[in-house]
Amino acid sequence: MSKFKDLDPLLHSQLRLGVMSLLIGVDSAEFVFIKEKTGATAGNLSVQLDKLSNAGYISVTKSFKGKKPVTTCSITKVGIKAFEDYVNNLKGYIA
Amino acid sequence: MNEKQLSKEESLELITNMIGQAKRNVAKGGSFYFLLWGWVVALANLGHYLIEKFSWYEHPYIVWILMIPAMIITMIHSARRDRNAKVVSHYDKVYTHLWMAVFIAIIVLLFSMHRLDFNHNAVILLFSGLATYLSGFLLKFKPLILGGIALGVSALIAFNVSVNDQYLVASIALILGYLIPGYLLKKAESEQV
Repeated sequence: MSKFKDLDPLLHSQLRLGVMSLLIGVDSAEFVFIKEKTGATAGNLSVQLDKLSNAGYISVTKSFKGKKPVTTCSITKVGIKAFEDYVNNLKGYIA
Repeated sequence: MNEKQLSKEESLELITNMIGQAKRNVAKGGSFYFLLWGWVVALANLGHYLIEKFSWYEHPYIVWILMIPAMIITMIHSARRDRNAKVVSHYDKVYTHLWMAVFIAIIVLLFSMHRLDFNHNAVILLFSGLATYLSGFLLKFKPLILGGIALGVSALIAFNVSVNDQYLVASIALILGYLIPGYLLKKAESEQV
């Protein structure tokens, strides 16, 4: 049996956990900011953001700054709960 | 970052690291507003005081017309700043709404100044002091905290002098509460990477 059976598999991935940890501390962040801070490629980041968004962990809004399209992400209440559960489970292993 | 399997230690390290990346103070550029409003309001107060004291002109309040361009500049500047921000922290929002609330409180006060026998300046100093004090904590910048205290003390003095002398008190209070901390903040911002 895996040691990590209680850890949310959606969060137990380097990039997705990175994104969630970034978003937990801010009100909202643009795609380029997340890309810069995580060092991920645009393609991979898009895929992972979609997964988090489909699970209802984050909300993704697309808008325009002048003519430039901008994607903005923010964490949802469901996402905050999932992140807190993940961290609490993690604490259980460390203690 | 890729899809590799994380150990629990790596998970914790990643979370700490990422939270640290996002943890920062309020967006740079706060000094602009302290300097703009510090100069405009200090000069308007001083102008009002001098015009009334030496009876240069029978409508000393004409100087407050300076508020209109200051408001327009503030609106343009903050709209531009919001547009360029790639990330908005909770602090940024609290900071913006704190000042918006104080601005609305001051407008309410100005509409009711006859009810206060025109002692509104002392109350405005109190509101500005409160917001400056809290801004100091949000930005973790001590000179602003001290500036807020200076504005609060000035409010106490203002309540105990004549209405015209309140303009002089306010003018000095803005130098101590907005301009000195504002210039120190500008210096700190330019040293920040």
